[in-house]
Amino acid sequence: MTWKSSLLAASLAALGLGAMAGTASAAGPTCADGAIKVGAVSTVTGPADFSEVPKATQAAFDAVNAAGGINGCKIDYTIADDKADPAVAAQAARDLIDNKEAVALVGSASLLDCAVNGATYARKDIRSIQGLGVDAACFSSPNIAPVNVGPFTLTTAMGYYASNVLKAKKLCAFFIIIGGTQEAYKKGIEDWEKISGQKIHLLDLTLPFQGDLTPYVIKARDAGCDTVLTNQVEPQVVQLIKTVDAQKITGINWLFLAPGYTEQVAKALADSPQPIYAGTEWEPYTETDSAANAEWIADMKKANRPLTAFSQGGYLAAQMFLKVVGGIDGEVTRDSVNAALLKMQPISNPLAGSPYVFGEAKTHSPMRATKVMKLDKGKWTVETKDWVHLPDVK
Amino acid sequence: MTRASLRASLALVAALAVGGAAVVGLLPSYWVFLATSVLITGVALQSLGLVAGRTGMIALCQMSFAGVGAWTVGYLNLAEAPGDLAVWILLGGLAAVPFGVAIGLPALRLRGINLAIVTLSFATAFDTILATITYPGQTTFLQVPRPALFDSDGSYFVFVQIVYAVIAVALEFLARSRLGASWLAVRHSERAAAAHGVSIAASKLSAFAISAFTAGISGGLLAGYLGTLVAENFSMMASLSLYAVAVMTGAHFAEGAIIGGLLVVMFPEILRRFDLPQDIGNVLFAIGATQALSTGETMSETFRRLARKLRPARRTKAADATGASLPQPAAQAAPVALEIDDLSVRYGSVVALDHVNLKVLAGTVAGLIGPNGAGKSTFIDAVAGFLHAYEGSVKLAGAALEGRPAHLRARAGVRRTWQTNRIAPELTVGGYLNLAAKGLTESEIAAILGWLDCPDPEVPVTTVDAGTRRLLDVAGVVAARPAVVLLDEPAAGQSHEESVRLGQRIAQIPKLFGSAVLLVEHDMDLVRSVCSEITVLDFGKVIASGPPAKVLGEPAVKKAYLGIEEESVAA
Amino acid sequence: MDALLTSAVAGLTAGGTYALLGVCAVFTYRLVSVVNFTGAAIGTAGTFALIALTEAGYPTWPSVLAGILVGTFVGVAIGTIMTRWFAESSASTKAAVTVALLVGLIAVGLRLTGGQHPHVMPELFPGSAFRLAGVEVTIASVLTIGLAVLFTVLSDLFLNRTRVGLHLRALSDRPMAAELLGVKVQLLSLLVWGLTGAFTTFALMIIAPQRSPNFMTLSLLVVPALAAALVGLFRSFWLTLAGGILLGVIEGMASTVDSISQYRSAIPFLVVLAVLLWSQREARWDDAR
Repeated sequence: MTWKSSLLAASLAALGLGAMAGTASAAGPTCADGAIKVGAVSTVTGPADFSEVPKATQAAFDAVNAAGGINGCKIDYTIADDKADPAVAAQAARDLIDNKEAVALVGSASLLDCAVNGATYARKDIRSIQGLGVDAACFSSPNIAPVNVGPFTLTTAMGYYASNVLKAKKLCAFFIIIGGTQEAYKKGIEDWEKISGQKIHLLDLTLPFQGDLTPYVIKARDAGCDTVLTNQVEPQVVQLIKTVDAQKITGINWLFLAPGYTEQVAKALADSPQPIYAGTEWEPYTETDSAANAEWIADMKKANRPLTAFSQGGYLAAQMFLKVVGGIDGEVTRDSVNAALLKMQPISNPLAGSPYVFGEAKTHSPMRATKVMKLDKGKWTVETKDWVHLPDVK
Repeated sequence: MTRASLRASLALVAALAVGGAAVVGLLPSYWVFLATSVLITGVALQSLGLVAGRTGMIALCQMSFAGVGAWTVGYLNLAEAPGDLAVWILLGGLAAVPFGVAIGLPALRLRGINLAIVTLSFATAFDTILATITYPGQTTFLQVPRPALFDSDGSYFVFVQIVYAVIAVALEFLARSRLGASWLAVRHSERAAAAHGVSIAASKLSAFAISAFTAGISGGLLAGYLGTLVAENFSMMASLSLYAVAVMTGAHFAEGAIIGGLLVVMFPEILRRFDLPQDIGNVLFAIGATQALSTGETMSETFRRLARKLRPARRTKAADATGASLPQPAAQAAPVALEIDDLSVRYGSVVALDHVNLKVLAGTVAGLIGPNGAGKSTFIDAVAGFLHAYEGSVKLAGAALEGRPAHLRARAGVRRTWQTNRIAPELTVGGYLNLAAKGLTESEIAAILGWLDCPDPEVPVTTVDAGTRRLLDVAGVVAARPAVVLLDEPAAGQSHEESVRLGQRIAQIPKLFGSAVLLVEHDMDLVRSVCSEITVLDFGKVIASGPPAKVLGEPAVKKAYLGIEEESVAA
Repeated sequence: MDALLTSAVAGLTAGGTYALLGVCAVFTYRLVSVVNFTGAAIGTAGTFALIALTEAGYPTWPSVLAGILVGTFVGVAIGTIMTRWFAESSASTKAAVTVALLVGLIAVGLRLTGGQHPHVMPELFPGSAFRLAGVEVTIASVLTIGLAVLFTVLSDLFLNRTRVGLHLRALSDRPMAAELLGVKVQLLSLLVWGLTGAFTTFALMIIAPQRSPNFMTLSLLVVPALAAALVGLFRSFWLTLAGGILLGVIEGMASTVDSISQYRSAIPFLVVLAVLLWSQREARWDDAR
């Protein structure tokens, strides 16, 4: 189905809904055989494990099902592993769409689901509330809207924090570029330049995925950077800071994106004298006393799931989906879910700094707020009590 | 040969047509989607089967070639190039060819291990480069469009199937051609291949180029199948596991490629159904490949062997030469076929040949004898161009051969046989003759085989006994009708009767085929009966030459060689 | 120029690693005539045993010992496969087997160790040794290069000067003949496999903290290692050593030149290509066939 026809279908569905609301008094979602089928494509085995995300979605759905479901409809949730293998990812998506007849995808988190399946979702007219958008395509596809800020917007946000709060004059950025992220990171930096009016001091897009980082650290030092922003993921964050310490470098602020914000990193770098900051996707998950986290923590504890940032994403995606489906009058089908997502009003949730919306845009990146964490003696502490909202690019 | 190719191709096309109709007609769209994936993987596996299976080289960057094809299609789509996917896929395959040739270059002269390292490091390099290049059009959500006729999943399956069939049929014809035979020959023994005039470089490079082309096609098909691609589609690990699968199933057989494709695609499916972790697949492929390597038999070969057992055993029949006539003998103008002047060969301080002079007149059979270690095989190696360096001159019909590599000397008219048999066992008898001599008709091949009591052209060499393979060697060199034939102990391992028969045949070679013969032999009866002139070597020096009766009577010869020999014969 | 020198020094650490693994590859090839694609994966297995043990709270050095034992064991296990089923196979069949085994080992390794979360790799030799061209040269990198040199010297002496070494060389040429001479082929081969396994494990333990300890990336260090071994044409330990260090230094230098640093990983490939084309200027016939 093409874009136009899906729009047509959506408006027809909306008309139908309006008609029904006018006549029938029994509002609320219904389902044909007692279940609403939902799926997720996630990287579970292979080089990375994102299963924490859909498992939290599962926990949230289980809680709803245990309480009788949505208007009596149980949610039948399937998690498909893509092994970070494009062929397997494509198969998994087809299986969910054609065989399982899922009405939507919720809580997916994968290294390549968006890039591989974005087109399939558009062709098959199904929408995905991504639990954790990882690759660039998650933020540039018509049928995918993640509930996280994502590395690209977060790049701009962290740069904004560096120039506004840390008063950085020489911001340098080092990026690992894998699979189609180059343009997105470049745009992230350009957006920051437009917002802050500054120029990036050094932009290096050649950070190696594996290998020795000493040459890069030396490069940052010799260029005179006062703040370095990088998209290193967890193991390499530790590797980078250890290399910096080995080279006895001081006087640089090290800014990481959300993947750097983990307890393992905090533990491994407890002894480092470097000022280390990380941006979060949602309300900092290590703040277990925060009111914003209360509901999520309660549900996770009930389901016996660990409290990680990943599980916030999965949980949040589930909440958004439940809200949207709860607003449907009539049978929950792929078409009715699509229609509801297209015309939904922004939904706020305390876990996130921005309201979530799907809508009719050609690309989706609704989340634009972060909280910045600082590493202090093996513990992450909140640097910004309030959300850092990224202003719109002029 | 073409008749056999035609038969196999027809069978393949029929099987594909029936299978395809069943898939499109009976299966739901998800399974059609999977079946398409099977065929695309099958194309990639066929490309790997060509280098890994036929030429025996370890190629670990097949998916990188596919990546070149896929990215080319992407760029053509972005640039709105004329034509549709079918044209772009073809261009994508062509774009991969230079890469294949460049990678193949360092493998020209040495064995597979180096190639394995080259290809693996290429795959690593390509991985990181590809990772930095976003698939063309991905950021603007531009999809690679399928051809207008084949837009739906079902019809795209048909499109892929047509491509698969075309490639499979083309490869089938190639495999049975002289080029295909040369791949097997090079894999088995590069020297023996060169002795038939096969250029090792051309053979290996053509294999690599065709393989890269096919892999590039598979990448293009994948682009149309998924619409957009990511670097992981073509990662080094994908190449490695594809290699394991190819080794396991025998991807150079049409059914092996399909079985491999089924394994690659269906494994994740089965694992998902049983809720098992996805990574078990690679472990099983590794075990399967190791098992296949240890038994030396791939899955396809096992199936073929079992299938053969089921069929009634065919008797190895002798070639039927009734009504067939031998090819015209080559006209030899020069009176002296081969002339060697002052040939010396040194290995370090050891002098293997010391100023050897020898002449073979056109239309005659000459003999070269001497005790073990006298330098006879070194002499043949030098004349045929298999030595690094020698002093002196080798003239073929008056033209000097110096500076020409072995395969060019073979083409110029110096053909040799080997002491140990070097015929690639995967060939058929007819395929071997076709490799040895270009452009023979089927009836000529049958006639030559019949003349030497060799088996039927359709018989695979594996089933031919060692003694007959030596005859086949002789059949190969005479079929080419060169100016001179160097026979290195053709009667070794033959019974007395067989050796007498062989002698009669060798004596006929000059008349029937127009080739002069230089016979190296220990069997004195054979030498006496066929040679008009003989030369005796001892410790690298010529100690006597002339007509057999005169030379064999010389005391020096008797002392050096024949004395012992005759006594032992008498005893 | 200065920046180039600085980055060249910065590349030494990687160079030492490549050299050490390369020398191990040559050692294996010369003694048991296998081009071993699983070399680094064997060491990685041992390294991850160390990580697992320290994460479970065991003290460092006993865990190091246990890790080396695991590496030795994996080496012997692969050696058993090779000697039992492939002793008489051709060199390329043996190489193909190790390629297949690599695929399996990486899958098993990723399964057991998980890819996502970082493992805390204890630094066995923390601190820096000295400062050169504005770069702190760490003890670990000095140690890797030192170990590489040591292993080169030892292998050279062992193979060329000792009786056992000569025996082993005889064995790699013709296992059957060596067997007839009364050399215990199986046992000696397994010894070689165990030894190289132990050695690679220790080497990877030293450098793992400076790399991202991920099973796949560590296992794939075999690519530059084999490239280094090719520089030595799988014969010369000294050339291999030089080749490995050179590779690391070139990679380091490439990272300062923006236009090429993105394609840094292509360097082993280009080196391999150049070495092969140069070393095979003239045609040589394969004696075995």
